[in-house]
Amino acid sequence: MLAESSAHQRDSSERSAPLLSARNLGRIYRLGQQTIHALRPLDLDIHQGDFIAIAGPSGSGKSTLLQLLGLVDSPTAGEVRVRDRPAQDLGGEQRAALRLGTLGFVFQAFNLLQMLTARQNVEIALALSGFPRRKRRKRAEELLSAVGLAGRMEHRPLQLSGGERQRVAIARALANEPDVILADEPTGNLDSQTGREIVQLLEDLNQAGQTIVMVTHNLEIARRASRLFLMRDGRIDEVEPGDSRTLD
Amino acid sequence: MLTLAIQQLLTKKLRSSLTVLGFAVCVNLYIVVTTVMRFITDDLDLQVQRFTGILFVQSRGLAGLSGIEWPPISSTISFAEAQAVISQPSVDPDRSTMVSFAALAPPPYPTAPPEALLVGIEVGKERVFLGGAGAIAGNAAFAAVPIGSSAPPAILGVLAARHFAPAASATTEVPSPVGPIALAALGSTISVRGTKFEVQGIIEPETNQLLRSAVLVPLEQAQSILQTPDSISAMLVSPRRASDIEPLQASIESEHKELMVISDRQLAENARKLLDRVNQLFDVVRWTSVSVAALLIAIVMFVSVLERTRELGTLRAIGAPRRSLLSLILSESAGFAIAGSMVGVPMSRVVISRALGPDAAGLRSKEIEYGAAGILSLCSMVAALMPAWRAVQVDPIIALRYE
Repeated sequence: MLAESSAHQRDSSERSAPLLSARNLGRIYRLGQQTIHALRPLDLDIHQGDFIAIAGPSGSGKSTLLQLLGLVDSPTAGEVRVRDRPAQDLGGEQRAALRLGTLGFVFQAFNLLQMLTARQNVEIALALSGFPRRKRRKRAEELLSAVGLAGRMEHRPLQLSGGERQRVAIARALANEPDVILADEPTGNLDSQTGREIVQLLEDLNQAGQTIVMVTHNLEIARRASRLFLMRDGRIDEVEPGDSRTLD
Repeated sequence: MLTLAIQQLLTKKLRSSLTVLGFAVCVNLYIVVTTVMRFITDDLDLQVQRFTGILFVQSRGLAGLSGIEWPPISSTISFAEAQAVISQPSVDPDRSTMVSFAALAPPPYPTAPPEALLVGIEVGKERVFLGGAGAIAGNAAFAAVPIGSSAPPAILGVLAARHFAPAASATTEVPSPVGPIALAALGSTISVRGTKFEVQGIIEPETNQLLRSAVLVPLEQAQSILQTPDSISAMLVSPRRASDIEPLQASIESEHKELMVISDRQLAENARKLLDRVNQLFDVVRWTSVSVAALLIAIVMFVSVLERTRELGTLRAIGAPRRSLLSLILSESAGFAIAGSMVGVPMSRVVISRALGPDAAGLRSKEIEYGAAGILSLCSMVAALMPAWRAVQVDPIIALRYE
């Protein structure tokens, strides 16, 4: 079940410590003699209630940034801090524990487990965090109802449409009440109408207080976020969502 | 994670079924081979025990060059020489006898005596050969030939009675672990190489394979059938005093160079050597079955891990700890092992019953069954550690790559 509605306050960022922050964060890939600056050193603060869109063309470094913020990759410079605690010194299992409890992932290709039903896909995230077995089913059903899938809980991913699959993925990401949802091209595999519905769902979640970071190459969708960052060649700039710049 | 493991096994039905079947065949093979090993070992021990305190005398024939032939079917001792041995002062003539052996049917398995073994024995000395074994029907000793009957007496072991049942003048059915089996009936007539015998007794089955196969007939009739009126196959010689056994052995060997005298201890050693050779072969089969089961699980789980790299990466990305992925892969491996054991154990019971027939009585051992399931499962779980380790190494970044 989604949290009780609380007004989204843009200026909340100025009052609270960031949930997730990047300090001088950079990532270099080395291919033989070649050095690729996938992400040039940048700072970024993500506060409670933010709905951040990171937009940019392919190869601009937006996915690299999401991977670093999501603690699935390690920076070559700077650091990521989770609730002001540096994450770079954490071991693999501690990072996994943070991903499980603090971050929720939504993937472009949904990444649902095909042999499980929608309900079981949500329950698996609850099981991993040690959520009591007896209460898992109820919690999963509440989450799926909240994303509009009350009648599709016992369907497997292949029996669901693309939009429905992404809703299951969002319900799974919400399962452990994460601080931040990281959505990697959540509309990339959907037609435009379904994509708009998914962004609307993310907006609704944000209106209910959920912090969201969304990576997209679709500027039209990105402009619906409360904060918009444009990326190009590993560099990031924050712009007003109403800014008329394009990605070209 | 258990739900995920079960769903994975159920989703890949054909692969799971074949893996379970393969594991079951390995469990079955291990149990059957171990059971047969134990059966042969126990039976040979019983055969040796039966002749404790007795010297076994046979000729040094071709068999004597390579070892002890048991039972000594190809051995030949002249009647006169045999009488000379038995007439030695330290020999107890009442507990010593001349014996003629002949195979009437091939052995049911290696190291076993023929399924039907003609044993010609001196009348009145049946107990020397039978030891303490009694009869489940009739007598365990030859009675006088009844008036009006021209057939000499025969005492049959249960395997021999079953062997002769189809041609016996009358049969009787007895229960067995594999259902009722027909035996030549008490009082019926059987034909051994054209000579008719009257069945006067059936030896109790809880003895050993030698007695279960025996067709005990008077020595004269055996010599007549074998057309060897002046020779026998071997002798069972008992000393008057137990302490005389070694001097008696030395005495016979020094006076009769062409004879081989085997003590119960040498018989046991020979049996042990024979068993060791057979057991080496059986061990190869057993450990092959263990290796195949372990490899099967390892390969299937490796393929499964490779196929599910993205799924495993997703689980890691959403925060699954390594131990969860480890337990996922090991749970699936355990599922194969448990299901395979549940199929393999009943399979082995059928195979043992069909292979050993009435001898399957009391052969089923829960210890062997649980042991086999345990050993194969344990080795398979160890083998599954490799793919499981591979699974926990999957980089969560894979989940964020879109192809």
